[in-house]
Amino acid sequence: MRRVFAQARKEVTEIIRDPLTLTLALLLPAFLLLLMGTAISLTVTELPIVVQNLDGSLESMRFVDAFRASQTFQVVPWPVSEQPERALSSNAARAVLIIPPHFGRDLLRGANAPVQMLIDASDPNTAQLTAGYAAEIVRAYDVNLAPAGRAPAVLAAIRLWFNPGVDSKKFYGPGMFVLGLTLFPTLLAALAMAKEGEDKTILQVYVSSISAHEFLLGKILAIMFVSACESAILITLLLTYFGVSFAGDPTPFIVASILYAFCVAAFGTMIGAAIPNQVAAVQAVALGGFLLVFILSGLLFPIDNIPVGLRWLSNFVWGTYYIEVVRDAFLQGGGWSAMWTKVLAIAAIGSAFYGIAWRNMRSMQLKS
Amino acid sequence: MSDAGSQSAVSTRDLHKAYGSVDAVRALALDVRAGEIFGLIGPDGAGKTSTFQMLAGILPPTSGTATIFGEPARKARMRTGYLTQTFSLYPGLSVAENIRYVGDLRLTPRTDIETRGRRYLEMFGMAAFADRQANQLSGGMKQKLSLVCALVSEPRVLLLDEPTTGVDPVSRREFWDTLVSLSLEGLTILVATPYLDEAERCNTVAFMDRGEIKELGTPDELRASLHARRLVLRTADVSSAQKALAALGKDAAILDVQRYGDHLDVLATDTGAAQHAIETAMQQNGIAVEELRADDPILENVFVASMRAAGDEVASVPFPARRSHRDLRGKAAIGAERLTKRFGSFTAVDDVNFEIRYGEIYGLLGANGAGKTTTIKMLCGLIDPSDGTPSLAQDEDVRSSRVHQQVGYMSQKFSLYDDLPIDENLEFFSSIYGLNKEEAAQKMQWVLAFSSLEERRHQVTGSLPGGWKQRLAFGSAIMHEPPILFLDEPTSGVDPLARRSLWGLIDELADAGAAVLVTTHYLDEAEQCNRVGLMNFGKLIVEGTPSELKARQKGHLLEFRVDQPQKAVGVLRSPEQQWRVALYGNRLHVIVDDAETGKRETERKLAENGIAVRDVREGQFSLEDVFMASVEREGVA
Amino acid sequence: MKMLHALLNQRLRALILKEFRQMLRDRRVMAALVIAPVIQLLVFGYVLSPTVTNVSMGIVDESATPESRELVAALVESRSFRLADYYDSVNALGNAIGTGKLDSGAVIPYDYARDLRRERPATVLFLLNATNANTATIAQAYVEGVLQSYNAQLSPTTASSAAVVLQPAFLYNPGLVISWFMLAGILGMLLILVGSTFSSTLMVKERATGTIEQLLMSPATTTEIIVAKMTPLFLAFSVMGLFALVLIRYLFGVPFNGSIAVVLGAGALCILCGISLGTFIATITKTARQAQLSVFFLNPPLTSLSGAFTPVQAMPHWLQPVTVFDPITHFAAITRGALIKGSGFDVLWPDFFALLVFTFILFSLSVWRYRAQL
Repeated sequence: MRRVFAQARKEVTEIIRDPLTLTLALLLPAFLLLLMGTAISLTVTELPIVVQNLDGSLESMRFVDAFRASQTFQVVPWPVSEQPERALSSNAARAVLIIPPHFGRDLLRGANAPVQMLIDASDPNTAQLTAGYAAEIVRAYDVNLAPAGRAPAVLAAIRLWFNPGVDSKKFYGPGMFVLGLTLFPTLLAALAMAKEGEDKTILQVYVSSISAHEFLLGKILAIMFVSACESAILITLLLTYFGVSFAGDPTPFIVASILYAFCVAAFGTMIGAAIPNQVAAVQAVALGGFLLVFILSGLLFPIDNIPVGLRWLSNFVWGTYYIEVVRDAFLQGGGWSAMWTKVLAIAAIGSAFYGIAWRNMRSMQLKS
Repeated sequence: MSDAGSQSAVSTRDLHKAYGSVDAVRALALDVRAGEIFGLIGPDGAGKTSTFQMLAGILPPTSGTATIFGEPARKARMRTGYLTQTFSLYPGLSVAENIRYVGDLRLTPRTDIETRGRRYLEMFGMAAFADRQANQLSGGMKQKLSLVCALVSEPRVLLLDEPTTGVDPVSRREFWDTLVSLSLEGLTILVATPYLDEAERCNTVAFMDRGEIKELGTPDELRASLHARRLVLRTADVSSAQKALAALGKDAAILDVQRYGDHLDVLATDTGAAQHAIETAMQQNGIAVEELRADDPILENVFVASMRAAGDEVASVPFPARRSHRDLRGKAAIGAERLTKRFGSFTAVDDVNFEIRYGEIYGLLGANGAGKTTTIKMLCGLIDPSDGTPSLAQDEDVRSSRVHQQVGYMSQKFSLYDDLPIDENLEFFSSIYGLNKEEAAQKMQWVLAFSSLEERRHQVTGSLPGGWKQRLAFGSAIMHEPPILFLDEPTSGVDPLARRSLWGLIDELADAGAAVLVTTHYLDEAEQCNRVGLMNFGKLIVEGTPSELKARQKGHLLEFRVDQPQKAVGVLRSPEQQWRVALYGNRLHVIVDDAETGKRETERKLAENGIAVRDVREGQFSLEDVFMASVEREGVA
Repeated sequence: MKMLHALLNQRLRALILKEFRQMLRDRRVMAALVIAPVIQLLVFGYVLSPTVTNVSMGIVDESATPESRELVAALVESRSFRLADYYDSVNALGNAIGTGKLDSGAVIPYDYARDLRRERPATVLFLLNATNANTATIAQAYVEGVLQSYNAQLSPTTASSAAVVLQPAFLYNPGLVISWFMLAGILGMLLILVGSTFSSTLMVKERATGTIEQLLMSPATTTEIIVAKMTPLFLAFSVMGLFALVLIRYLFGVPFNGSIAVVLGAGALCILCGISLGTFIATITKTARQAQLSVFFLNPPLTSLSGAFTPVQAMPHWLQPVTVFDPITHFAAITRGALIKGSGFDVLWPDFFALLVFTFILFSLSVWRYRAQL
């Protein structure tokens, strides 16, 4: 045990003494959480749209006002002489609403008044949202217009659970928390391990007759400690800036966090042990860890959207399970009954990484 | 030196290590007695490092056994301390933290770590630096800290793989004094070194080549095995004397001639015959002989002889010179005027002035961190001086392409591309200096021949052993025949034979009119310079020809031969004036103010401690004496 | 004239040849130049998709009538929702949503059919897991859309009297293929990020091994050295970029509506910008490790601020102007404009100009810093 702690203490001291590494360990995750938690969002507001009102009647004005009043759209001016499509191709607007002549007359006659909306679908998601928002506004306008008693037959009463403000921050905040805890400890662990090989200090370790378990556990313990500090900072940010709070029993989250810190440190150590070159190790972490967790874990986009042929891969991605635990802890509050399998999965994947790292290191001598 | 005949501390039987089809170590059988200093010398790629790694128990041997006090090396790891060639310190940790970490890994009791750590730090004069971060230590101190770390678990065997490469003479001497005192306490020490003056201080020396031990014995035995004597020929015109001797050929029982700044070392089997032959040759050429005396050979002679016997002779290939700079001779080539460089509050180079002329070899000496490399970088325009002006070829714009075309530069770090094959490296450097195709081909051929790498020309440069790389880098730096040449530690880590051929070439270039600025930690090499400047703490403290410097030295040098030289050093040396006593091979150099009283005093002290004096005579100062005295008088480096 | 002369000189040729040889020998670089675009394009193009389809839905059907079953059928038919299971109570449904088994739920009240028959408005409760705001918003729109058409079927008269009818037309990407959008952004990310990562490691290598001194001591000028270092990288990344474009065109079937010259020009600028960025980073860091980590610091903000994956309009207002300083933003705008929308240089020139400015500034900084780095 003494060797484990000696190893851990040495690692922590080294991290603290190197400003670049320390920034990497503590400051950068916080910065990223703030930046990406804020910047990444798919729900647009104040989309610039151009209105081409070819009618000019009172009704058409009123209809346009409905669009003006919405938070989602921002009507921008566009010269009548110009083709409306140019507003889209020049990125001046994301959609063009075209109100045909006789719009007001048709309405007064009680006839259908079609309006056209040209939507820039080069960003399909935003286009879909735009169409949805526009349809909602039109529907609300129609309901107002319709005489009483002629309401539609089926009404939807929609309840948005867990995040009633439909605030993206609350969704991506915890996601970025997971990303931070995945990326940086892995990187630190891989660097610390690869450095020993690159600087040849590993020889000194070999000579000291410390066992592979002691050596690896010492390293992992140190990285777990750093993870804990990082988590403390990030959780504080989540609770304050992102305004989330624990939705239920926090113990599954705490246990999962400890196991996840182990899992991530073991992964980094495994990479560093296999690639005793810091630059290559960073690249491997970037490609392996970052890309996998970023893409296959459901962090950014739902796992359901991944093609079936690849979806099974996400079962092996450690981040997948931790993300669910974190979102559950902060948003849903499902507790142990919902989360125990995920916690077990994290532990299993972590042990596998540790086992591979140990296999690589177990002889504790130079390979011939 | 302790009880002989007792159990071997380190022992190998039929030890063999192969990397693929290459045999690094073959059938090695070693026996190292407890408490002795065992030196392992040999050219690059001889298999020394592999041997150390197997003894340290971290490299599985292909076959055979290695034991430490009867236990397999791998199991005995707790009893061995191992200093690798690269620093195995953690730069982010402080001195004390480094020691503690190693102690903890080796399960040394906490209190022992404390007390031993403090004791060794005090012993090495580093007690004040316990809280300093390792990356802020000088090279010499890093090396000593590594040693403390290796010692803190009180190992019984210490394995040191080239512990003093790149370490300045002052620190080297201190380091060795420490080793000797540790060995007197009963520690067994195995050490590999490229410095043969260090090997002289070992109890037993093994000469290793191509994975095998070729010679083994005490330094005295090895010297005796040569069956030859060394003749010291002191003359004003060393260059002509060397040529005259070369003309003698293999006759007159002359085995080898080595040129130094003011004398030649001639190795001869038959002293009388050789002496006669030399005298006649000198007379015929009209060269005045100042001194010609017979002396014991030194280990370097043994080493060179062994390597020649093994067929490792470095071919001397004439440099295909196309340009002559002879007409430039005597003009100023390199100038430093009030050159100063400050890094923050630290002044690395302080008001340095000198002028080097074409045809001159100028040696810049000094401890690690004295400011030599910074001075060179300012002269080359690689960094801007804080104050003062450098000039090259009488041009103050030292960065212009015109000036750079005339400069050859070999930095301290290896200066070729490790990831390119040898021939592509040479092709690049020849064409970047604008050599035409035909000349480039000729020069490349020459570099390959000079560094004996003709067959390996397509090999990736990074896979070469250090010494070869160094020769290659030197060759590529002079392909464009620059009239100005900067060489920053060109011979660091190079074996003696290769060093000779390098210096032969430097002489040749200077003879052809090139100005050469060279730094080195080998002071015997510095003897070959026309002029020498000594730097300390950024200042140029002494300057002159080697002979001038020696003549300027105050006091007298007494050379003692005693039966227990290591012990004698301890007896005679006072902590305040360490520079007064030094060990050179088996001789003791003592600098005294007055020859007669000094001699009497010293003999009395030695006799009081039961040390028998075999021989004493007043000797000439070596450059190393000058260096030590100047540096230590100025303050600890 | 001066440029031409510089191009012809022997030193520069020697330098470029050396850089080429070094790069070709670095197997890692070569592998990364092939693997990086393939993996990133495939993964991002196929895997990353914010499209909301098959939202899993649980149903509590208290009505259990043909009418209620018809409504469920209408919901599922739309392909926006996938019927996961029936639940007995609102509580059970709520639990399923709470534990993450379901994304949404619908509760059809017991008097649903009766209300319909009496032509009284019937209210159906929809529960949406809004953890993911985007999915929830789109699902909400789906629900309303499905109900609208369902209502229209139920009583055509009601529908026809609804005065305004919105006819959305999706321009440029009528199939709403999400990968078209993603790929344009990824291409920019590839060129800038892969470019800066590799150029910074290659550039810093010279310094880490100490050969930089040898190089600076040669008659070559700093500009020659840097130009020589950039040339092979530029060519390699160009090949990588072209390869990526081929994948984008033929594997993903993204239309090339506009001028290919505009895309290529922007690509070249983007590559130069990435290399300059890497070079600049290399001149301010000491080791390959530091360079790599610095690039690592830069990557996530550059990516997330670029609007390459998420719309800029979705960012907070104070952040939106910052995106102007991200070269990926401009490149993504150019590729999307030129490839998908068919916009020309007349529209896209401000983005070109921005890329040019970035490249120029970074390149100048590199040359200026290169000597100072010793």
